[in-house]
Amino acid sequence: MEDLSWEVRANNRLFHRKQRRRSCLCLHRGRYSDNVIRSYKYSALTFLPLSLFEQFQRIANIYFLCIVVLQSIPAISTLPWYTTMIPLLTVLSVRGFKDLADDLARRHSDSQINRQPCDLLTNEGFTSVQWKDVCVGDVLRLHKDQTVPADLLLLTTTEPHSLCYIETSDIDGETNLKIRQALAVTHQELSQVWCEEPNSHLHSFKGVLEWRDMRHLLDTGHILLRGTVLRNTRVAYGLTIYTGLDSKILQNCGQTAVKTTQVERTLNKVVVGIVLLVLLFALLLAVGAGIFEARVAPGIEALAELGGRYTPVYKVFLTFWGYIILLSPSMPMSLYITFELVHVIHSLFIGWDLDLYDGGVDVPAHARSTTLNEELGQVRYLLSDKTGTLTENRLIFRQCCVAGVLYGLLAVSCPPHSSPPLDLSWNPFSCGGLQFSDKRLVDTLRKPGSPDVREFFKALALCHTVMAEWKDGAPVYQAASPDEETLVGAARELGWVFLSRTRDSMTLSELGHRRQYQLLALLDFTSQRRRMSVLGKPGELKLYCKGADIVILERLRKDSTYCESTEKALEVFSQGCLRTLCVAVRSVQEGLWEEWSRALELAAMTTGASDDLYDNMERELTLLGVTAIEDQLQVGVPETIATLRQAGIKVWVLTGDKKETAVNVGFACRLLDPGTRLLQGEELRSGLKTHGRAHECREGHLALTLADILILRARSKRHILYKGWTGNQSKHTTSSTPPPSLQVEFEEQPELGKRFIALSRQCQAVLCCRTTPSQKAGVVQLIRKYTSSITMAIGDGANDVNMIKTAHIGVGLNGLEGGQAVQNADFSLAKFHFLRKLLLVHGRWSYRRISVFLRYFLYKTSSFAFVHVWFAFCNGFSGQPMYETWFITLYTVLYTSFPVQCLLPSLSWQDVSAEGSLRWPSLYQLGVGRQLFNPRLLAGTFLYSIYTSLVLFFLPLSVFCFSAIDFQTFSITVLILQTGYWTMFNVAAIVFSMSMYFLATLILHSPLLHTIAPADFYFLGTRRFLAAWHLTAPSLTGPHSVSNQGTSCIRRHL
Amino acid sequence: MKSQQAANRPDNTAFTQQRLPAWQPMLSAHFVIPGFLLIGMAFIGIGVALYITSQNIQVLEKDYTGTGQYTACSECADMQTIPCICNVTFSLTTLFTGPVFLYYGLSNYYQNYRKYQVSRDDVQLWGDVTKSPADACAPYQYIDNKPIAPCGSIANSMFNDTFSLYQIINGTMKLVPLDGKGIAWWTDYNIKFRNPSAQGSLQDAFNGTMKPVNWSKPAYELNPSDMNDNGFLNQDFLVWMRTAALPDFQKLYRRITSGDYALGLPPGDYVLQIEYNYAVKDFGRKKVVFSNVTWMGGKNEFLGVAYIVVGSLCLVMSVVMLVVYAKYKFADENA
Repeated sequence: MEDLSWEVRANNRLFHRKQRRRSCLCLHRGRYSDNVIRSYKYSALTFLPLSLFEQFQRIANIYFLCIVVLQSIPAISTLPWYTTMIPLLTVLSVRGFKDLADDLARRHSDSQINRQPCDLLTNEGFTSVQWKDVCVGDVLRLHKDQTVPADLLLLTTTEPHSLCYIETSDIDGETNLKIRQALAVTHQELSQVWCEEPNSHLHSFKGVLEWRDMRHLLDTGHILLRGTVLRNTRVAYGLTIYTGLDSKILQNCGQTAVKTTQVERTLNKVVVGIVLLVLLFALLLAVGAGIFEARVAPGIEALAELGGRYTPVYKVFLTFWGYIILLSPSMPMSLYITFELVHVIHSLFIGWDLDLYDGGVDVPAHARSTTLNEELGQVRYLLSDKTGTLTENRLIFRQCCVAGVLYGLLAVSCPPHSSPPLDLSWNPFSCGGLQFSDKRLVDTLRKPGSPDVREFFKALALCHTVMAEWKDGAPVYQAASPDEETLVGAARELGWVFLSRTRDSMTLSELGHRRQYQLLALLDFTSQRRRMSVLGKPGELKLYCKGADIVILERLRKDSTYCESTEKALEVFSQGCLRTLCVAVRSVQEGLWEEWSRALELAAMTTGASDDLYDNMERELTLLGVTAIEDQLQVGVPETIATLRQAGIKVWVLTGDKKETAVNVGFACRLLDPGTRLLQGEELRSGLKTHGRAHECREGHLALTLADILILRARSKRHILYKGWTGNQSKHTTSSTPPPSLQVEFEEQPELGKRFIALSRQCQAVLCCRTTPSQKAGVVQLIRKYTSSITMAIGDGANDVNMIKTAHIGVGLNGLEGGQAVQNADFSLAKFHFLRKLLLVHGRWSYRRISVFLRYFLYKTSSFAFVHVWFAFCNGFSGQPMYETWFITLYTVLYTSFPVQCLLPSLSWQDVSAEGSLRWPSLYQLGVGRQLFNPRLLAGTFLYSIYTSLVLFFLPLSVFCFSAIDFQTFSITVLILQTGYWTMFNVAAIVFSMSMYFLATLILHSPLLHTIAPADFYFLGTRRFLAAWHLTAPSLTGPHSVSNQGTSCIRRHL
Repeated sequence: MKSQQAANRPDNTAFTQQRLPAWQPMLSAHFVIPGFLLIGMAFIGIGVALYITSQNIQVLEKDYTGTGQYTACSECADMQTIPCICNVTFSLTTLFTGPVFLYYGLSNYYQNYRKYQVSRDDVQLWGDVTKSPADACAPYQYIDNKPIAPCGSIANSMFNDTFSLYQIINGTMKLVPLDGKGIAWWTDYNIKFRNPSAQGSLQDAFNGTMKPVNWSKPAYELNPSDMNDNGFLNQDFLVWMRTAALPDFQKLYRRITSGDYALGLPPGDYVLQIEYNYAVKDFGRKKVVFSNVTWMGGKNEFLGVAYIVVGSLCLVMSVVMLVVYAKYKFADENA
């Protein structure tokens, strides 16, 4: 087989060492990488160039580098080189030190990982080596609770049947134990293994073991992945297949796409706009300079000789560059780094919040991505998973329907504990916890001669992937899905106890009788197949199948009984918000089995696609019954959804459930009001049609693709929209083509999607039923495509990962379904109702703070630079700076930006307290409508800064005939008035900043510095002058800002 | 002590929970309207005080360019005879309260032109004439390969008109003593500028350097009457070297502080005798200004007016806000 090209020779170090991969810069040689983890980016040599390279990918940094270069040309240098160099160096070194610290931390953790011990087989037996010395082909010995150092082929273990148990929580976050079993042939010796090239698919593996001219197939069940932990197994032996970078977990560590926020994108545009503006101003001023040089300068003897013997045109050219340098402080250089810092601290605040901490499971909220905070304040669409997100995913076996008879009472009609619990004392394995009180079922079960019911529970006890662990004489079940755990648990309570499993057998206790079943095949569950089956041999060969009702019902035998009553039961269950699963059985002929298993083996060797084969086996089923599990709503879900709706957030629920269940959950969690009218099917179709003028020819297609879409319409203009894909899928599965996914359909019919979104805007909520994970992501994409709004997806399971990654913001819940959602999310929460504080408080504050912070930053830098434009009219457009050079240097770094003024208000400012934000959710709509950071407001900010610079220039112009510096006081004055929320930090910050300014001015203007370097410190003796000015400036500029604030407050107040 | 179970529990501090004690000024109508009223009144008060003070400052300006509408010194304007002496006469009807400051003013003179501003050598002015002058001084750097001291265009273009003031008493001219001491900035005189030191006289220290092209006398002979007022520490030179920020500017020339004129210039007729050396007619004008000062500095009506305008705006705003507030309040009560 040609694709199995990865050769592993057992215990042949020489062979593999020779082909060790060596890399030099970008050249790689050899195949097998060593087992050393190198997650660090820099070495001592490469740190400086690499770090600088990364930093100069920021356009602002490049811009300033250009300015520094320009400044070093004496002919055009209007400002000394240090005015840009010092801020640039500050920014670069802060960033560089951060990178360096990160990298050192990575090195440290790398070396800790690389130095972990493991046992390696050598000629002298097993010796202890470090992880980094493991090589492909090595045979390793693992002890209980040890972490696997590389991808291993399991050879043998000390457990019977060479089983071993592993925990994969580091890989996929699932905490249940999984079973791995070695091939029987590898117990003694082995020689050579061929497998596929290293890849990132965690759940697939193909390989062949060659031994004594026999080829044995290897699959993922024989592999121990790096990072998994050995549990419940004393010792396991393994052959190293992939090491280091070739191992599956590291192949998976791809670069994740960095999400950027809308505010950041706007900011980048603003930066480009500033550059263009600077160029424009420089050009205009250069033209002015040309006129001055030609008309005025020749008349003044003192100036005429100065320009040298250059032509006016050349002088204009020089002036142009001179002004570009002079206006460069308008570019907010330290903005990005400050912005990042603000983001990080906002993220820390989220993690620190006690209200977002779940004491029950000891999990605080966590901002995994630190760049999206302000977008939390702008969410318009919230797309939520249902199971485990809105509901607890803590399941209770409520009802079942076996052979057309309904057992158990509806949860709503009987409040818990009202009826006496079942007497299960006859069952030694009963552990309690069953909230099921229909005595008829137990009676039927224990009564001999009720094969249907017994077969039903036998199927429940057999058809699953649960592992049993024995603790204190009772089995403790560990399951990948809570459904299975509940069902197996219910079967145990009722007498069909699953005791233990091996690779090819399962042991049950059936009403006290111990029985062992041979396990032939396990057709596993995937979200596409939506079912799983077990081929067992309890006497005769039988296939037990369990799955979603539509999947099972269409696979039933033509002459199935109880179909009608079962469907009625399904309806009853879904109205009670219960989760249903159908259980069916099929007797399989030996011949059919042999033929099928051979085909499966072949398929596994060649294509790996076994779904069709599984399909062939799972047909002609006989329905046994239906289970109904209740999934309770999480605490606070209805209140949270109601609040979010008031805040102007559209909540969409995407679920794989049936539409009836979804509707009922929708009502239960107050997503739908009792009066709302549902728009569905035909009505939706006509709704979509009336929104745009669909052409006649398209209608046919419309009918086909939207056959089962439902919408409800509420009072006047409010609708609810439902979509279900049931009809669609059943239509298509009869043919061999897979059901077309949502986005394909909407891509084919772009105007359809547009109309759908337009319609949904008038709806109160949207429920999408029967969605697969990719369809969930498709819905998100649809919204992103046709609106510019911020979307947020929240989910807890692996099936939500697509959606979480697609949305602007992904939130993962630390649920029962493993940690995959959390690992792919930007924020992780423990409970759904924490969303309320995350969005309404943290999100709103972040958005407000960051918007105000950015606007202040742009205002401060641009008004600072604009003053030079006005001054140019007074100095013959000669590029004379108005401020002293050291003031320009320190202005952005020390006085205004980094330390305090921007940072602290942007960290601690609260316009409305947390309680207030939650009480008045409509305050959130400000962010949804992007009312605090948009082009219009930015234009306003620029106008304001122009006005400020005019005031700054012409006030001193009129008051004194000479003025040097006064801007600092002004910017502080404005800030004080804008702050409006005083903590001791703010006061300290402003006092610090003011005193820094006076201190720095004193130092820089001191005689001492002049004696050291007369040329650089020529501004001295001005401080008395300054002090006088500082007392007058605020008093003049203050009232203006007061009036600004006053009017806006009055407006708000009224 | 955190229990093992709650190891991940965040700290419950005022900072982490964002509950730092804070004062949030509520800008309600009750607070803002009286506030504006107060600020407005205070500003109008300050403004009126400034304006009245400024009004009391006496200023006397005499343009002596000699061209255009002012004919004073027109005989010298063509710069044919050098030195050319001309007289400007004026009479005072009231006492010009002292101390009186005498300024010269130049207009349309771009001292803030960038190339002009840097055309100096601070190291040289700090007393080191042995080094070669800075390149920024070019083209006033060398003459015949000898360094110019002081070099550069600023020094070269130093204002060199001289003034002497006489009061005419019964037909005789009585000299009004002009005080030229201490008119430069303290830091300039004591720190920024130094004379080159050498054995012997100041002239020896300037040995090997050339005087600026436009100067009639070398630096060490700027003030023949006072030996200590020469070289780089000459007061007029220091005043000139502190360049103006705007194209129209005034610089202090002398103060009238001593003798019979310590209290000011009494009413009477005066003659200002000017030695007209400095050519300005190609680009602008020049003038002399007599002025006295108060606590707020020289005459400046703008500051007072600005305060009054801002204060009035505050008052208007407060009235507008009061009207708006009352209207809404009234509407609320009706509703």
